[in-house]
Amino acid sequence: MTLVQTNPAMADEEPPVSLWRDAWHRLKRNKLAIFGLGIVLLLAFAAIFGPYLTPYDFLSQDLAARNQAPSFAHLFGTDDLGRDVFSRVVYGTRTAFLVAIVVTVIALAIGTTLGAIAGFFGDPYDRLIMWLTDMTMSVPNLLLVVVINASLKTPIARWMEAQYMATLNPFYRETIWIDFLLVFGSMALISWPPYARLVRAQVLSIRSRPYITAAMALGLSNRIIMTRYVVPNALGPLIVSVSAGLGTAMVLESAFSFLGVGVNPPTPSWGNMIADGLRVWQHYPHLLAAPAAVLGLASVAFSFLGDGLNDALNPRGTK
Amino acid sequence: MSAEPLLRVENLVKHFHVRLGAFGEKAATVYALDDVSLDIQEGETLSLVGESGCGKSTTGFTILNLHRASGGKVIYKGQDLTRLDEKHMRPFRRDLQIVFQDPYSTLNPRMTVGEAVGEPILFHKLATKTELKDRIATLLSDVGLPARFASRYPHELSGGQRQRVVIARALACQPKFIVCDEAISALDVSIQAQIINLLLDLQEKYRLTYLFIAHDLAVVRHISTRVGVMYLGRLAELAPRDALFQTPLHPYTKALLSAVPETDPERERNRKRQILQGDVPSPLNPPSGCRFHTRCPIAMEVCSKVVPEWKAARPGHLVACHAINSDLS
Repeated sequence: MTLVQTNPAMADEEPPVSLWRDAWHRLKRNKLAIFGLGIVLLLAFAAIFGPYLTPYDFLSQDLAARNQAPSFAHLFGTDDLGRDVFSRVVYGTRTAFLVAIVVTVIALAIGTTLGAIAGFFGDPYDRLIMWLTDMTMSVPNLLLVVVINASLKTPIARWMEAQYMATLNPFYRETIWIDFLLVFGSMALISWPPYARLVRAQVLSIRSRPYITAAMALGLSNRIIMTRYVVPNALGPLIVSVSAGLGTAMVLESAFSFLGVGVNPPTPSWGNMIADGLRVWQHYPHLLAAPAAVLGLASVAFSFLGDGLNDALNPRGTK
Repeated sequence: MSAEPLLRVENLVKHFHVRLGAFGEKAATVYALDDVSLDIQEGETLSLVGESGCGKSTTGFTILNLHRASGGKVIYKGQDLTRLDEKHMRPFRRDLQIVFQDPYSTLNPRMTVGEAVGEPILFHKLATKTELKDRIATLLSDVGLPARFASRYPHELSGGQRQRVVIARALACQPKFIVCDEAISALDVSIQAQIINLLLDLQEKYRLTYLFIAHDLAVVRHISTRVGVMYLGRLAELAPRDALFQTPLHPYTKALLSAVPETDPERERNRKRQILQGDVPSPLNPPSGCRFHTRCPIAMEVCSKVVPEWKAARPGHLVACHAINSDLS
């Protein structure tokens, strides 16, 4: 059989367009999303390399130069201990990214696993997991974090102190690890249910698509159907949700630090800087404005990027 | 028809349990397939025709175990497929393939044509990784597509090209039997002809057996060896193509054939149409006895009480109708 009917217009070699590449083209046309992506990349750069590039250390105090207004020497001025606010904001970016990424990764791992099991295997796993999800969502976030902090912080700190006394290992003197452990743990604990629900819904909807029936008709194994057919098609909405989730996690971390249940001074976090600045904002507004503006910018950037990704990855939803 | 069939379907039953009402408070059963028996001979094209919802596609899906049968047997190579779980079914899946109605929705949008066609080859270990590229190129040329299409995505292809890809993917398993489930219904008429010719060429080349599910009687007349007519989940009549089109026995078949327009205007004017009264009853609550008796022009008293026997009226010409059966005896 030599039936090769070729459309002459298609004879020219043109590179195939994968859906990802297609999405990237659509994203590039969206100015707000590119603005968001630019800010996110800038903040990421600041988080990774910033602390090595700033002229001042975020902890070094210069009591001769306290509460200075912004100048060329101190871009965002100095605080009540003479610390350079710009350096602290940059270091706060690192804290924010660290918390956002670690929390999102943990929440994503828990949520994806539980959601996929619920969606793919159905009842009784579905019922149990959804019950767990609903229950977790019904607990007030702030209350849970405060309770965890109040009840666990002192025992862990005491244990670390005891370990230090016994081993003299300087690792145990770094109380920052307790902060991180509690913040990561408690935030991941309240952040996974949306991911679980999203993944479950995705798996349920993809499972009934004809290409899954086709894959079963080809005799492919469940593992291959899951990894090659279900997961790649579920990824789009998940990426959108992760992008938005990173922004949310940053705001959440700031909120907790602001209330004193997150990262504690002297480690800079946008939240605890805002809390410090708020007390003196009538005299030194820059101490409040600098971290608040950066937090706002980060939050807006992540939501623009998320919206742009949503339009780019799910083109049917838009015009 | 004395040779051992490739595949034997015995009294196949498929019921779907559904929940009705705004809150799903009412349980009901859809009698999609009731007591369907047929043999499929090696190398033939057996067509199933009938109105929408009469169970044609359900037959195809249930034979391939994509729907679990509620009763009956599907015997292939001495094995009853309906009793196999997915794992034991897998080796048989290679032999028994399916081409679906809508090619776009049955292709994974994230996979290139080459990946889609290559997947079953690698999974069933029909070629090594080094031979894979050649194998994909051969399959694509078999279905009339150039090898460079291997790197394209489904959304870059036309409907006809996509259906060719789906056929290539089915062929990749080196099957013996392919269910063509309305395989051409979603395509333009001009493309339909191409795909039909392609299917016929492939049948000759690879000695394929088709179960061709369609509602276009002209197409069915063109390609079939034998034709089965279904009504509301039951087979009404099954006969070699010419016998069925020239001397239909079942009143439903007669009505169905009388609806086909003639190309000759003279004959078209004189064509006698037999219009059935009423609608197809709901498969949720099918009529007793012969399921066609509510609309049958020659219904008798017995028709509403007794299910007609599935009997050979002539050698190879099976029919389920009290009127025909009583004539015989």
